[in-house]
Amino acid sequence: MSLKDKLHILVVDDMSTSRGLITQALDEIGIVNYRTENDGANAWRSLGAKPVHLILSDYNMPGMDGLQLLEGIRSNKATARTGFILITGRADPETINKGVQLGMNNFIKKPFQTAQLKACIEKVVGPL
Amino acid sequence: MSLAEAEAIKGFNVQPLLQGDVQVSNDPQLVMTTILGSCVAACMWDEVAGVGGMNHFLLPGTETGSNGGMSHGVHAMELLVNGLIQAGARRERLRVKLLGGAKMFNSRIDIGTKNAEFATWFVKNEGFELVDCCLGGQRGRNLRFWPVGGRIQRRFMKDTRLIEEESAQRIASKKPAAETSIGDVQLF
Repeated sequence: MSLKDKLHILVVDDMSTSRGLITQALDEIGIVNYRTENDGANAWRSLGAKPVHLILSDYNMPGMDGLQLLEGIRSNKATARTGFILITGRADPETINKGVQLGMNNFIKKPFQTAQLKACIEKVVGPL
Repeated sequence: MSLAEAEAIKGFNVQPLLQGDVQVSNDPQLVMTTILGSCVAACMWDEVAGVGGMNHFLLPGTETGSNGGMSHGVHAMELLVNGLIQAGARRERLRVKLLGGAKMFNSRIDIGTKNAEFATWFVKNEGFELVDCCLGGQRGRNLRFWPVGGRIQRRFMKDTRLIEEESAQRIASKKPAAETSIGDVQLF
């Protein structure tokens, strides 16, 4: 069984169109075990019910944003070691620095190509 | 600029937008302006929060990825929506007007239609309220948008080639022109 088959990913984005683009890219990479949530609070509940290896989360979301979700994940013993990639429309240094301080593993700026997302994931989990 | 045009924005601060720009404002004295050909502008606002914004985007017509360059349009829409929410708008109260997407050139690839179809699909897919749209055709548009309240002024640009074609047809048929709206200002 390859890493692609073992890896479980949670995609978090408030826009259904963006969730569709991200999951389409995951399909193209060959990752089959993924699920989606539409905001940080729902993602947090979902992680409590079923953990994942890696989270791909949008930054700007109503309610709990991507960095608040990251903070919650890192402060909880059960989820503290989960991989976290921030997906952001505006990769401003302040947001990225805050993400690094909170323990983000990598980030990717929208819009991105499938190959860019694959490379970004591989930097966190190893070759796919 | 004609006197009528100058009067139309008298007392307002003008914020011009170019291709790729996204602007959000809660300034009631601001009017956003842009010129659209094949590009599409989405004008979105939240009347209760008193905030609105506009983007101006063009899908790349030559991208070969599986989403056909759609991600660029999604990105432009997302930046606008995120900007509005950060400025106090509520997603469920956002209303949208779409303009642009003209076929400006006689080529096989109709980028304007592609842009217009994407914008309409996106708004429906995300569940936003589409209040009005002025998409397609063969002429560019001058657009003014008042972000607080969502008022729009749209004026078609004159297309010399089309006017010449219409004139030639009228002479041939000796009938009056059916369309008299070239250069008209419409408010909606």
